[in-house]
Amino acid sequence: MAKQQRRAPDQMCTFWIGDALCGVDIRCVQEINRQVDATPVPLSPPHVLGVMNLRGRVVTVVDLAAKLGLGRTRFTDETRNVIVHSQEEPVGLLVDRIADVVDVDPGAVEPAPANLGGIRGTAFQGVLRTEGSLVGILDVDAVLGEEA
Amino acid sequence: MTILDDETLQMYVEESLDHLEDIESDLLAIEQAGAGADEELVNKVFRAAHSIKGGAGFLGLTAINQLAHKLENILGLFRSRELVPNPDVINLLLQGFDRLRDLLQDVDAGRDADVSELVVALEGLTTANVPEERKPSVSERVQVVLDGRGPVFTVSRFELDQALEGGKSLYVFEYDLIHDVHRRGRSPLVVLQELEDGGVILDAKVELGVVGGLDSEALPRSIPFLVLYATIVGTDIASGVFDLPDERIHVLGEANLRDAPPDPVAPEEKPAVVVAAPASASSAPPDSGPSAAPPPRPPAADPESRAPARSSRPKDPGKPAETSIRVHVSLLESLMTLAGELVLSRNQLLQAVTSGAAGVDRIAQRIDLITSELQETIMLTRMQPVGKIFGKFPRVVRDLAQKLGKKVELELEGNEVELDKTIIEGLNDPLTHLVRNAVDHGVETPSERLAAGKPAKGRVSLRAFHEAGHVNIEISDDGRGIDPEKIVAKAIERGLVGAEQARAMSDKEKVALIFLPGLSTADRVTDVSGRGVGMDVVKTNLDKLGGVVDIESSRGRGTTVRIKLPLTLAIIPSQIVASGGQAFAIPQVNMDELLRIPASQVKERIEIVGDAEVVRLRDRLLPLVRLADVLGLSAKYRDPATGQEREDRRRSLADRRGRRLTLDDPGTDPDPTASQHEDRRGGPDRRTASAVSIVVANAGAFQYGLVVDELLDAEEIVVKPLGRHLKGCGCYAGATIMGSGRVALILDVPGVARLARLTSVEGSARAAEVKQQALRRAVGEEHLLLFRYAPTERFALPLDMVQRIERVGRKDIVTVGGRRVLQYKGSVLPLLALDDVAQVGVPDEDAEPVVLVVRLPGRSAGLLATGPVDAYQGRLEVDRETLAQPGIAGSTVIDGETVLVVDVVDVARRSYPDWFQEYEAGETEAREGATLLLAEDSAFFRGQVAGFFREAGYAVLEAEDGREAWDILCREGEKINAVVTDIEMPHMDGLALTRKIRADERFRHLPVVALTTLAEDEDIERGREAGVTDYQVKLDREELLASVTRLLRTEEDA
Repeated sequence: MAKQQRRAPDQMCTFWIGDALCGVDIRCVQEINRQVDATPVPLSPPHVLGVMNLRGRVVTVVDLAAKLGLGRTRFTDETRNVIVHSQEEPVGLLVDRIADVVDVDPGAVEPAPANLGGIRGTAFQGVLRTEGSLVGILDVDAVLGEEA
Repeated sequence: MTILDDETLQMYVEESLDHLEDIESDLLAIEQAGAGADEELVNKVFRAAHSIKGGAGFLGLTAINQLAHKLENILGLFRSRELVPNPDVINLLLQGFDRLRDLLQDVDAGRDADVSELVVALEGLTTANVPEERKPSVSERVQVVLDGRGPVFTVSRFELDQALEGGKSLYVFEYDLIHDVHRRGRSPLVVLQELEDGGVILDAKVELGVVGGLDSEALPRSIPFLVLYATIVGTDIASGVFDLPDERIHVLGEANLRDAPPDPVAPEEKPAVVVAAPASASSAPPDSGPSAAPPPRPPAADPESRAPARSSRPKDPGKPAETSIRVHVSLLESLMTLAGELVLSRNQLLQAVTSGAAGVDRIAQRIDLITSELQETIMLTRMQPVGKIFGKFPRVVRDLAQKLGKKVELELEGNEVELDKTIIEGLNDPLTHLVRNAVDHGVETPSERLAAGKPAKGRVSLRAFHEAGHVNIEISDDGRGIDPEKIVAKAIERGLVGAEQARAMSDKEKVALIFLPGLSTADRVTDVSGRGVGMDVVKTNLDKLGGVVDIESSRGRGTTVRIKLPLTLAIIPSQIVASGGQAFAIPQVNMDELLRIPASQVKERIEIVGDAEVVRLRDRLLPLVRLADVLGLSAKYRDPATGQEREDRRRSLADRRGRRLTLDDPGTDPDPTASQHEDRRGGPDRRTASAVSIVVANAGAFQYGLVVDELLDAEEIVVKPLGRHLKGCGCYAGATIMGSGRVALILDVPGVARLARLTSVEGSARAAEVKQQALRRAVGEEHLLLFRYAPTERFALPLDMVQRIERVGRKDIVTVGGRRVLQYKGSVLPLLALDDVAQVGVPDEDAEPVVLVVRLPGRSAGLLATGPVDAYQGRLEVDRETLAQPGIAGSTVIDGETVLVVDVVDVARRSYPDWFQEYEAGETEAREGATLLLAEDSAFFRGQVAGFFREAGYAVLEAEDGREAWDILCREGEKINAVVTDIEMPHMDGLALTRKIRADERFRHLPVVALTTLAEDEDIERGREAGVTDYQVKLDREELLASVTRLLRTEEDA
């Protein structure tokens, strides 16, 4: 698959969605903030939490868990909003908890399994095997791209 | 070559384009005036061509120079009245100027462009139009020779003669670009312009030859710039006037003019590039100028002189995309002042915040003021007059009209109205399309127009004007108009609307269908406007600009398209509303007014028609859409007592008043919400507790009322785009950031209407009209069907009784077994004739019979009648005594004529007794002293039914509606033994009344008989659920009496 052949990122910002540890290419992360209070948009797709004001820009906030079929995110003190750039537009991704920034050893990247922590394998570019854990490399455009 | 730098070229191009801007309309004006053309106008165009020519010569833009030159010649002929402007000449001139514009827009490519075809055509025209004796002079070339320098210019004899007319003297001025021009802070173009004010420049060029080649070591001390000039200024004062030393002013006499070899304007001729002329070419040139073959260019000079010009050109040469705009200096200055003030205020604010001093609010106010002023001023820099686009239409209309053989006059109004640059640019295509449409499809050919009694010349007008903070643009023509039926037929054919839908549409709405995608009305596809894409694209484009477009057309009289535009796109005035606890912005361009219906008027002004809510606004009914419903939010309302926000659970704003109106689908369940509603009346009445806020929204072709929970402020909002995930919602135009920092969504008014399934069809004015007509019946007026039997007598029948009207032939009526029947649609309908039971006249032998199909208990029958059949609506009194007889309930007076009211059930009973159940004597006999309460909104039925009961010995209390009945019941409940009620009534219907009775301890035991004209199973079912004891058909006297008697007996027994 073309997706897996894509070069893995050098560094990833990782976070938890439910039981799955996921990461996105750090180059497409603009910022991470605690701003999880979005204006709901009636009639929007169910995984869209709403829109928020990010210093004068209107940013769509997507509940990543809902988008990946894990049900709505429950808000806790650790819930964060990861602002990523997807198709030249900032999108906020709601995640359960921020983990770490990890270096990616291209040798340790494997094709994604069919299912990772309850998430369809197609959402991932691949997985990074590290000591004791498996990080799904989230394919942001594939996950968010459907509505484009 | 520093002098011929990019800036000079750029300036020349901009200036020349400026010159060209108005030329089209000027030329058209000249064409129109013909021989009487305004001299000033001709001069203006002439000067334009002339200065373009002058600059081009100087800059070495040969093609432009040549073309401008020839154009100038023809304009010169206009000036000297040797040539009368006519469409052909103007055509050629327009073409020439068009080409000139193209060349100027892409100067580099334009350098080597081939303009010979036009040049030849123009020259031919000149030759053809000058007097015989001067003809040779057009092609005759003259060399201008300076003493000791050889020929410096070559001009045509014709031009020379023209220039020297009026006793002018001919000079060659020799400027030095370095000392006379550059060092004095002037530019060559300015010098040329100055000269032009005082005479005629025949040619101009820089003599680079004298300067030396690039390889020469020394810097040139001077760059001669020669101008061949004819002026009235005498030789003695020329030096002073033109600020040049005498030795550099060469006065020319005949001795300086020499015949040159005739100039062959061959198509293959490559124009010379004067700027790049090599050193050797001008030191002793036998001939230079346009006629000469191009001298080889020094390779080094070429890229240097041209590269800078290229780099600064707009990227897309195909389109005159503007990369710069002109802003008045005063505007920039006020911007600077404002920016200064803003900085000052910021400093104050920072200081106040850090020191914690008071007065922050004062500074905030100041910043607020400056910001809005700054915003306004910046917006002003983006404003451009509509005239910018309007200006091109005279040409468009003229060319098109010529092509189509039509005569069209274009009227322009409001050129000066300003709009945001983006909008102006976006308007270009839609407006062009609309104007072309008006000429192509709107205006008829002169013969068609004359035949229709119109002047041969059509009129298309374009009007721009301000209105309530928006700009309106109207494009109207006085042509054939749009045939709504044709549009509808096409829309139906393409499956864009249903035939059923179409029937309910007004003409205006039918015409508005033209904006639907995939509908083009042109019968034939022309290259002018019908290409299968059309008005829908116009609409889409205008939608993008935040505009609202509306079309109005009357057949044979013309069409008007009205476009309403915001002044600017970035910041729009809007109304903030709240619904479901959330704020939304509605652009004011989509808003006509705000309505707040006070709690006390809600019931009168909001009604339910069919299953839709409508509001009565002045004389119209407006369909209502509840924003919270559309968006799937729960509406909130503010409790007037506590000020708390609570969930508003009412599902309908009004009671169900009036009958169920079945406009489209008779099978729909009549609104069940009304009853739930009434249920809650026992508790605090929510409905009357809060007012209703309505935004009267304008979706272009139609209006609707958007019900919101609260109307907040009017605000200027900054429009921000929404992300791609939200594009599919279909009801947002964007988002904005509120003062609180939260995001609010901007509603897309037509989108909301679509989501509410309130297409222009259903929410249409026409549907509302129909519904309104129907509504009137609900408020106690009678609807009667008027007809005749014998020509001398007029009869009336309650419309409710009539199922339909059949026009039949006499042969369809046959007598079978002694009874008249109508054979129709494969079945047999028994017929009733008035003269069988009543003393009335009989129809004439040859009268065409009409059969009124009426619904009787358990069956249908036809009542024989004759035309004309009319409908009557209004309040009336029925006299039940004077003219009453079998089959005739009484009489009334309509329009001054006595009308007999037919009791069709009685007629049927007398004609076909076997249809009706026979009752034993006593079965219909009233119980002694029993009192009935009768609720019925139609005075006719009320009188009729009350009549039955009184005849039978009952006392009857009459009420006009459920509410009144309830009042009577509460007042005189003791003596009432049974209730007879109509179902459909205003204010409180029969079912609600029944429920109320059943819910009340005092009246629970009362039998309730519900009356209906059309008994349908589901009605009966609903009645039973509400607690109705029995159901009876209104005019079936015997059954009704029997039922009531039976019920009263049962009650007594119990």
